[in-house]
Amino acid sequence: MTALVNPGLADELARSDGFDADACMNCGVCSAICPMGVDVEVRRLFRYVLLGMEDKVRAETERVFSCLLCRMCEENCPAGVHIAENVRTLRHHIVRTGFGLGEG
Amino acid sequence: MSGRRIGVYVCQCGGNIGDYVDVDKVVEEIKGDDDVVIARSAMFTCSDATQQEIVQDAQEQGLDALVVASCSPKLHTVTFRDVAKRAGMNPFQYTQVNVREQCSWTHTDDKTGATEKATRLVRAGINRTRLTEPLEPIVVETTPKSLVVGGGIAGLRAALGLAELGLTVFLVEKEARLGGHVAGYGPMFPNDRKGSDLVATLEEKVRANPAITVFTNAELMAKSGSFGNNQATIAIHDGDKLETIQVDVGSIVVATGFDDYEPAAGEFGYGLDGVVTLPEFKKMVDEAPGLLQYKGRPVKTVAYIYCVGSRQDESLEGAHTYCSRYCCTSAVHTALEAQKLAGDLRQYHLYRDMRTYGKYELLWSASRENGSLYLRVPDDEPPAVEKLSSGGLKVTTRDLLTGDEEIAIPADLVVLVTGMVPRDNAELVSVLKLPVGNDGFYNEIHPKLRPVETIVDGVLICGACQAPKTSSEAVAAGLAAVTQSGAMLKRGYAELDPMVATVYADLCTWCGKCRAACPYDAIEQVELDGRQVAQVVKTACKGCGGCVPVCPEDATDLLGYTDAQIKSMIDGMMEVSCS
Repeated sequence: MTALVNPGLADELARSDGFDADACMNCGVCSAICPMGVDVEVRRLFRYVLLGMEDKVRAETERVFSCLLCRMCEENCPAGVHIAENVRTLRHHIVRTGFGLGEG
Repeated sequence: MSGRRIGVYVCQCGGNIGDYVDVDKVVEEIKGDDDVVIARSAMFTCSDATQQEIVQDAQEQGLDALVVASCSPKLHTVTFRDVAKRAGMNPFQYTQVNVREQCSWTHTDDKTGATEKATRLVRAGINRTRLTEPLEPIVVETTPKSLVVGGGIAGLRAALGLAELGLTVFLVEKEARLGGHVAGYGPMFPNDRKGSDLVATLEEKVRANPAITVFTNAELMAKSGSFGNNQATIAIHDGDKLETIQVDVGSIVVATGFDDYEPAAGEFGYGLDGVVTLPEFKKMVDEAPGLLQYKGRPVKTVAYIYCVGSRQDESLEGAHTYCSRYCCTSAVHTALEAQKLAGDLRQYHLYRDMRTYGKYELLWSASRENGSLYLRVPDDEPPAVEKLSSGGLKVTTRDLLTGDEEIAIPADLVVLVTGMVPRDNAELVSVLKLPVGNDGFYNEIHPKLRPVETIVDGVLICGACQAPKTSSEAVAAGLAAVTQSGAMLKRGYAELDPMVATVYADLCTWCGKCRAACPYDAIEQVELDGRQVAQVVKTACKGCGGCVPVCPEDATDLLGYTDAQIKSMIDGMMEVSCS
């Protein structure tokens, strides 16, 4: 299935919650040192956001919520991406749009 | 006995030779040979201590010739010629015998055989040495002038550098104006100075320098002469008129540059409305009136496809398999420039590997944080470009970084990041006998140690004619060519190797066979005592020996490797040891 790129998702999350993964260069340090193992592959998750693949993001809900927010990845990110903050943003986004718990 | 006093040193090279060749046995075998005054083994003959011992031996024993049996002549001939000279001998009465590459390294399974072979080779070396004549370097005066072919950024900077060294410079440019590719560029990486400004500054200095003569609409038509003294014929076009002039120069700096790769029709959609090359896109960005536009329509989304015309599969006919080196950084820099324009620009970069090496890495980081997203394309599945019925373009690719997701990018503009290809300059190649590599670029002698010299004496290459280069790399090479020209010409004379061909005029009957065999035009026909004979132009001869075997009268010989010497070497190798 071919996905059409859509910058709208990243724009919206940037505006609402300060999502920013632009500096990511896909080195994979985050995945390598994640105490949850490769299950939480944040760099791929963020890429889905950057490419605007909303369905893919939603399909990863389980992973988004299994993150411990321990910030081990963030401490070691050579590109300075605020990874844990971004994960929090995605949780917020999924809750807000997926579970009908909008902010009113 | 010839009365010669020869010293022979056989090297152990640590264990490199000594572990397989019985060096002491070799010394034992040859020390009683005719004319061998002293024969010794040494652990490292090239060491300062042993060199000093050789000098001392030579002075005490009155040696007049030297043999060292050690490694390849490529490694240490010059070293031991120098030792011979310091010891008061003629450096050309030294012979290097190779018992490492030719004996110990090749015959590790047969120590007895290796030792016997070493003995035979050393004996051949002694025999050759016995027949050596003292030779003196050929001294030629050099012309303190240089010809620069090509007036792009590398050629301009080289011309200026040569003039600053005090040399007279002739700059020949094929086009009507100077500056080459760079003259047409706006802001360039890394410091955003405009190419047009850089070239204008250079051109102003070049034009103002009284030591530099600039010829535009001009070409190098012919070149003759030899080391340090060349005659160059320059053709200058003036409308329909053609004027030719001749100049004497000591060195020639070739800076003829590159061509942009021109994609084939249909290659990544090339030919479709909205598919442009990197140089075309750069021009659009450079000239954009505040807002990025294509044919009057605003551009909101740009997709770049990298490595177009570079790193091509070698199975393709005429494939450019090399990386063009400048294009990743140029595309990234152009994307940053485009982002500075008004409007919310989205940029997608479809790359194979990002090679924004060195300091340019920072530009790549900056671009990621300025509206550029990078997608890693599989090498074996290039992106597809198609025109949509709506008028826009669509690029479809797999993105390896999302685990091979297929992504479609609707784009207003597709930029093919094209590389550099060698320029077709067949005439210049034939005039200067330039060495052309398999990739079509000109070849230097050694990429690290002799990066701008060619196998043709006095002809130097620099800039993008020798390989894809950024403009700063091209200029650095240009200045390297300046240094090499200075090294050749500033002293006013040069010393050439005297091991060249010679003609015994009394035997010569002038048949012309030697001249036909010579690849360097180094043999001329002259009249001597009313007879036509061959004569060697020593400064042009390279000592290849090509003229020797073709002579029906045995009237040609190679100094240092005469027929008599070669025969004596064969005799030496055939001699059976007494033990």
